[in-house]
Amino acid sequence: MIDLMLDRVYKKYTLRSKDNGPKRWYRGFVKRPVEMWALQNVSFEVKHGEALGIIGHNGAGKTTILKLLSSITAPTHGQITIRGRLAALIEVGSGFHPELTGRENVYLHGAMLGMRRSEIMRKMDGIIDFSGVEKYIDEPVKRYSSGMYVRLGFSVAAHLEPDIVLLDEVLAVGDVAFQTKCLDRISELRKNGGTIVFVSHDLASIYRVCDRAILLDRGRVLTDGPPRVVVDMYQKLAFGDHESLAESQLDPGKAAECLSIAFSGPDPVHAIRTGYPMVARLGYRTATAIPNAIFRISIYWPSGYLCAQLSNESSGFGLTLEPGHGEITFECPVLPIQPGLYRVDLVIESEGREVDSRQHCATLCVEAGKSAMGDFYIENLCSVRRYSH
Amino acid sequence: MTPEDAPIAMAGVAGDAAKFISNQLADRAESSSHRIRIIGPPAFSFGTVFAGLRGLVQYSDLLYALSFFRLNIRYKQSILGWAWAALQPLALMGIYTFVFAHVAKVNTGGAPYSIFVFAGLLPWIFFSSSITNAVHGIVAYPGLFTKMYFPREIIPLSYLAPAVSDFLIASVILAGMLAYHRIGPTWTLLYGIPILVILGGFATAISLFLAAVHVRFRDVGLVLPFVLQVWMFATPVVYSLQAVPARLRTIYLLDPVAVAIDGFRGAVIYGRAPDARMLAVVGAAMIVCLALAYAYFKSAEATMADVI
Repeated sequence: MIDLMLDRVYKKYTLRSKDNGPKRWYRGFVKRPVEMWALQNVSFEVKHGEALGIIGHNGAGKTTILKLLSSITAPTHGQITIRGRLAALIEVGSGFHPELTGRENVYLHGAMLGMRRSEIMRKMDGIIDFSGVEKYIDEPVKRYSSGMYVRLGFSVAAHLEPDIVLLDEVLAVGDVAFQTKCLDRISELRKNGGTIVFVSHDLASIYRVCDRAILLDRGRVLTDGPPRVVVDMYQKLAFGDHESLAESQLDPGKAAECLSIAFSGPDPVHAIRTGYPMVARLGYRTATAIPNAIFRISIYWPSGYLCAQLSNESSGFGLTLEPGHGEITFECPVLPIQPGLYRVDLVIESEGREVDSRQHCATLCVEAGKSAMGDFYIENLCSVRRYSH
Repeated sequence: MTPEDAPIAMAGVAGDAAKFISNQLADRAESSSHRIRIIGPPAFSFGTVFAGLRGLVQYSDLLYALSFFRLNIRYKQSILGWAWAALQPLALMGIYTFVFAHVAKVNTGGAPYSIFVFAGLLPWIFFSSSITNAVHGIVAYPGLFTKMYFPREIIPLSYLAPAVSDFLIASVILAGMLAYHRIGPTWTLLYGIPILVILGGFATAISLFLAAVHVRFRDVGLVLPFVLQVWMFATPVVYSLQAVPARLRTIYLLDPVAVAIDGFRGAVIYGRAPDARMLAVVGAAMIVCLALAYAYFKSAEATMADVI
């Protein structure tokens, strides 16, 4: 059963820019339309119970797809087929009116989402109970805290009984606890046969939630397949494989630059696994000699907290770099971090000053190896001595 | 790591939400009443009118909720509150009575000028204020357009409710004035109802059309007060149709609003039944205009979120 189908969908936006045509007296008044194709020939299907992730750079067309699916806007060409009730959890609570009380807003917001009054009345107690704002439900929502706002909006949307759920990363913008809860919620939804379309920059959550992903680039579908393949492809697009993208990123003003980062397991056959060796290779380029250079590879949890850092500072030697290309290698005999997808930042420092810094430029995918509970695997030698009687 | 391995911590709102939604999904899977929707490029066709009406019925509760909401906040945080509904036409009545009864005399056919002009102002204000509010209201909350979907015509339609309520409140004053001047109510008063329905229909058609254009070109909202002002003086509101030269009267009656307002005043003050054939023609024209305007609105609706 197919729940969602996009058939050769195109979407054109017309931007009006200041006229750059011939100089005429009316030049200030007339704005020349500039066509921008947000989506070009996009086709895909989502089966019932499937969780599809959509990834891509800013402006790749992710939000446009969500807007098309939720009927906010219509395609320029092509056709979209939707089977069942669709709930878009995009910016929950955005339909609230500040002057109305919480209860009135539940009616209004529910009606905007397509619920009947009788349906809302039936679910009212559940919605209020759920939101945890029952004490203030008859106060105008302008007196609510932003957390209460989101919870109430979320609660209404959650009672919509959807067949298909659209999720934007906007939902995951909240605090870390909320973000984690969202991801858990999606996993749970999926287990119960709900169809999900999930749009995110956060590769870790795509990896965790979705069983299929598509990669969008400038309005076209580049890849459609298992998340692992698609995420790999995206990373290559994002930071460049090796030399290919490095050339375009050369910035003559910088004294030194990170060119590439690659993580690998103990040998070409094995992936990076918890409790096994890992090698990180950082390619760089320097324009001038750099004294006392320090490289840092920061590894972040999906939640955004710093998990660990690799740096030559801790090894106790500052590097003096000669102009040219080079590579610094970090070898970890035992990788302590748990399976998952981590975000990576790169920094080059010299004499306490930042020379180059790259945020979110790569991801580190760690697979299950030696298992341990907790945040880290601690390499240990275990021995038993028996005291005999 | 596969999604099945993902640790699931059922905690707080989000965790409960998952449980809740999954139960709902399980329920739905059994009932399984799946609607199929097909979204294509926008097009101008009368098919959209019927599809649109079906959607409107489905979202009728939103129309009620929004209409109620407009009534609710209309006179919020104003000292005089609902009295404003009567004050505005009364003030205009005062001005026009001064000008046209004392400065320049207008033939009213025997009725006091104040009542004469008030009976014309009420339907006119009903007509013009619902258009003005609808046109400005559609761009008042752009966030609603870009964040969620509902039939967009509900926004202009919801402004009909305050216009109707203002009309009803001011009607009480009119009734009081009629009683004071001993102008007895006759059965022709009932003609006021179809006339107002026709007027409301035209107001809705114009609101839908202009609102759809206004989303794209804000010039509409800027030129609208001027156009309505001219329209009012081109309509027998402050003067009678009889005062218009006979050869111009045919042209006057091409304007359905003129027909409606003259008919309303005739039915309420003079006990004169309107020409039934004329009323039928104007009613039919209203339905055609409404269908055209609605089809246009629906074709423009699909991309409103892009241009608002």
